[in-house]
Amino acid sequence: MIDRLLIANRGEIAVRIARACRELGIEVVAVHSTSDRNSAVVAMADEAVHIGPPAPRRSYLHVPNIVEAALRAGADAVHPGYGFLSEDPDFAEICAAEGLTFVGPPPAVMQQMGNKATARRLMAEAGLPLLPGVVEPVRTAEEGRAIADEIGYPVIVKAAAGGGGRGMTVVRAPEDFDEAFVTTRAVARAVFRDPTVYVERFLSGARHVEVQILCDAHGNGVSLGERDCSLQRRHQKLLEEGPAGHLTPEQRTELGRLAVHGALSVGYTGAGTMEFLVDGSGAAFFMEMNARIQVEHPVTELLTGIDLVREQILVAAGRRLAFRQEDVVPRGAAIECRINAEDPTRGFAPAPGRLEVLQVPDGPWTRFDTGYRQGDTVSPDYDSLLGKLVVWAPDRDQAIRRMDRALAEMRVEGPGVHTTIALHRALLRDPDVVADRHDVQFLDRCLPAVLARAASLDDAAPGLPAARGGLQLVPTPAADPRPDRSTEGEIPCPPRPSLSTT
Amino acid sequence: MAASELSTRSAGPDPDAVRDLHDEVVALARDLPAGLRRLTVRDGDRAVEVEWATGPAEGTVMAVAPVAAVVPATAAAATPAEPEGTPVRSPLVGTFYAAPSPGADPFVRVGDEVEPGQTVGIVEAMKLMNPIVVDEAGVVADVLVGDAESVEYDQVLMLLRPAGGAR
Repeated sequence: MIDRLLIANRGEIAVRIARACRELGIEVVAVHSTSDRNSAVVAMADEAVHIGPPAPRRSYLHVPNIVEAALRAGADAVHPGYGFLSEDPDFAEICAAEGLTFVGPPPAVMQQMGNKATARRLMAEAGLPLLPGVVEPVRTAEEGRAIADEIGYPVIVKAAAGGGGRGMTVVRAPEDFDEAFVTTRAVARAVFRDPTVYVERFLSGARHVEVQILCDAHGNGVSLGERDCSLQRRHQKLLEEGPAGHLTPEQRTELGRLAVHGALSVGYTGAGTMEFLVDGSGAAFFMEMNARIQVEHPVTELLTGIDLVREQILVAAGRRLAFRQEDVVPRGAAIECRINAEDPTRGFAPAPGRLEVLQVPDGPWTRFDTGYRQGDTVSPDYDSLLGKLVVWAPDRDQAIRRMDRALAEMRVEGPGVHTTIALHRALLRDPDVVADRHDVQFLDRCLPAVLARAASLDDAAPGLPAARGGLQLVPTPAADPRPDRSTEGEIPCPPRPSLSTT
Repeated sequence: MAASELSTRSAGPDPDAVRDLHDEVVALARDLPAGLRRLTVRDGDRAVEVEWATGPAEGTVMAVAPVAAVVPATAAAATPAEPEGTPVRSPLVGTFYAAPSPGADPFVRVGDEVEPGQTVGIVEAMKLMNPIVVDEAGVVADVLVGDAESVEYDQVLMLLRPAGGAR
């Protein structure tokens, strides 16, 4: 069993892991950089170790200092959270070599899943459906063009080592291929230190659906249902929800079965996510696997009642899963909004600063995961995630209204601080989003219209404070939750392109 | 903390580049071996000029700060009133050793004079011995960490006071 766990992360996920440890009776060792010395997780921990200056590569990415901290503090396990070292097989291996239980999959499996081309090949072998394309790396533009001609345009050129939405280029016509190929390789080499790319069919009008899975070290695996993360900006998720209401129950069950089968076929253990693209007919195509806990895991927690971080730790400690597939019954609908310290009107530029006011929403089925407290400073050294607002309700329409109510309750103020709160409220008023008919390109296509709506909300919002009372403040998203499109023309937004016929 | 007030919003066509520069400057200012005196930043063609105190007398202008064992505290930490002397800090997390091998004489004792470049201790991390080297002359005023004690990043290992007194 694990008695003392080091959290190799910061911010909201560090606090989330510390809470799971507390509930399990596991002691917590926090590590922190100089700028995080007064952070929430440091205050919660049994012991905190200062591991380096603010720059991540000298602190949260600095393996020797973290491993030394674990050994010195007497930890017997390490939880990497997400980001930073969470998908670094070398780190997982060093932890194991030092006798530390790594909360995650075996290093070799992590390595395989970390390379998208390898993951594609393994999942194809396991029988998962893939978009037409190649599994092997493409070496020359000529080779790539031949493949693109065969599978048909549009295609997408992807970096094998890519992640976080970087290193992919959509090519719509043969004459654009060479340039896209060269640029993507250059980006891949610069950002991921690996120029390997592959080519697959680009599905327009698709939805991003991912399946949460959990596998123990005894060959058991379950699916915990799916999340729809189609609201993305440049492949960065902004709002996630579950279940994927556009799929039939049969399609959802089948997707879950495929995900578990794929994960078990490579010997995966722990919590993981299989990402799929789903076309208009509900056909799903495997994209990639994330070998770690994900930012949006609370959506699944609210739907299933299962504490994913707790289960992750128990599985890492060698326990068998305490439930079977039939015990997992997702209920109702959940939505998560990522509240980022960013200014959407300035290209989502980071807008960090001191949080002079941080009033978080509360109330029924309303959860806010954050690593910040009022008075803390959002550091420019790290990602801009300020917190995650998650709500649950019996159905999607109620969840949308609940989220809007919660967003309206939230107050974040400080010099230079901007957030994505108004953007989320605008998104939840968009007819396509309300009707659940948006696709993964929706935000890139409609951002100006959404921003205009957000600005008009902002204009209305000031001066609406407590004096006028609580909940009535919040205008309901729409009188009819599924408004007729023809009556909704006030802000022009280009319609979704039709699905390609092929 | 003038450095941390550098605005990334001060125009500039490429926000990423400006941000990089900002990060670089903040990191540089934090890594200075002594208090920051003057900071000049230009964005066109990226020039950074930093001046810091070397002693009571003159300042030095250099572009890059060498990585030294002595790193100043970046903020007024919750540590009790900083004792007299120049702190020698641990550049990494590990185990402090006062002597080159068990039973051997320590590298330094209180009252010893040290020269720039002299090893005053070792911090072991991941089975690697990292010598702790001072970058200025002085006299060991106090050793704050015991032999084989674990230390964290930036922890003060010992204090130096100026040698002789009139330097």
